[in-house]
Amino acid sequence: MEAMLTNPLAVLILAHADDKLLLGHVQSDWTGLGPLLEEDIAASAMAQDDLSHALILYQFLGERYELDSDVIAFEREPVDYMCCDLVTKPDEFDWAEAVVKRWLIAEFTGMGIDRLSAIEDKELAARCNRIKPEQALQIKHLQAWIKRLGTAGPESQERIQAALDRLSGLAGMLFEVPGQRLPVNDDFCCGRDEMFKAWDASIQETLSQSNLKASFALPERSLIGGRRGTHASHFHDQFDELTEVRRVSPGASW
Amino acid sequence: MVSKQDILNVLAGIPDPELPVSIVDLGLVNDIQIEGGHTRIELLPTWTGCPALEMIERDVIDQVSQLDGIQECKVNWCFEPAWSPDRISTEGQIQLKAHGVTTPGCRDGQSVELTTSVIPCPYCSSHKTRIDSPFGPTRCRSIYFCDDCRNQFEHMKKVD
Repeated sequence: MEAMLTNPLAVLILAHADDKLLLGHVQSDWTGLGPLLEEDIAASAMAQDDLSHALILYQFLGERYELDSDVIAFEREPVDYMCCDLVTKPDEFDWAEAVVKRWLIAEFTGMGIDRLSAIEDKELAARCNRIKPEQALQIKHLQAWIKRLGTAGPESQERIQAALDRLSGLAGMLFEVPGQRLPVNDDFCCGRDEMFKAWDASIQETLSQSNLKASFALPERSLIGGRRGTHASHFHDQFDELTEVRRVSPGASW
Repeated sequence: MVSKQDILNVLAGIPDPELPVSIVDLGLVNDIQIEGGHTRIELLPTWTGCPALEMIERDVIDQVSQLDGIQECKVNWCFEPAWSPDRISTEGQIQLKAHGVTTPGCRDGQSVELTTSVIPCPYCSSHKTRIDSPFGPTRCRSIYFCDDCRNQFEHMKKVD
């Protein structure tokens, strides 16, 4: 476990896998509560995809570091989980907030997985290439929601703009350099600054078609958040729920 | 001595738990390797989050292990090549259509007008169809609606 947690590439993979694991867990709260039947199915399907993407990334690390993927997923200390706290921020069942949050994260993940797939590692590339089209479908679906809500009418536009205003300040932390055991200025993130610019451009393109506005900024490198193990209280709430069965009954299966 | 064909025959009798089509016709079987009494079967997941994968793996191991001369059967899920509906056999496409599920191969290179879709309805063959949702009842299917016969149907979606 130590070897994995101090390897820059493994840490980068873990950051994406942990985002996916926690996002899949949090988003499954919408199952049964989607604003329309098709979206109820879509939101649940996306949560299911997120969990499977986390799984195949954990399995990749498990094979490399001779660890059980469930051990990686459920048995690290909270400080060694590298997800961004935007992921676990409660949306209070506000659909506008849920969509904005998911979309900002999905675009980030899509670009991160693209970059991981370009690293010279055949097995990692095969897995990332398998995730790509599924991620692309999520992004397309979420962009459609942003456009739909942004242009549907005054109340809809106001609510989605308000959700953007609440979340835009937190989104930069998606780009925090992960791994509390690694030096903070270690720039191994496949070109963080360049990726932020590409992400921002993609986000702005959709916003400009959706009657919406938001600005984003990269956090200072010295700012420490979820990716470096300093999590908000809502992460711990979700983490406790996520790992409860594992703690009550280690190794349980059904 | 068990041959690849013997194993393929067994796999051809294993249906997908969520579709009335065998895993061979769906194109899930990528490779079969036999060494003595040990066999390793490479399968491709349709979608990474498909909950049927574990059931399929169990069915394959149970049934292939029953062949005389097989002591051990292992299943590996592979991501390369990526599964695509293009791998579904002609027989599989016919079975799916009878079940109300279309496949990308059903387009036949036809050109269609803007107000219609390239996916013909599996019930009435009309092209006046539209997508209801890209996310269907299982991960590999999307939902379409036919404006002519007013039936909903499913379409195996492309993953690339």
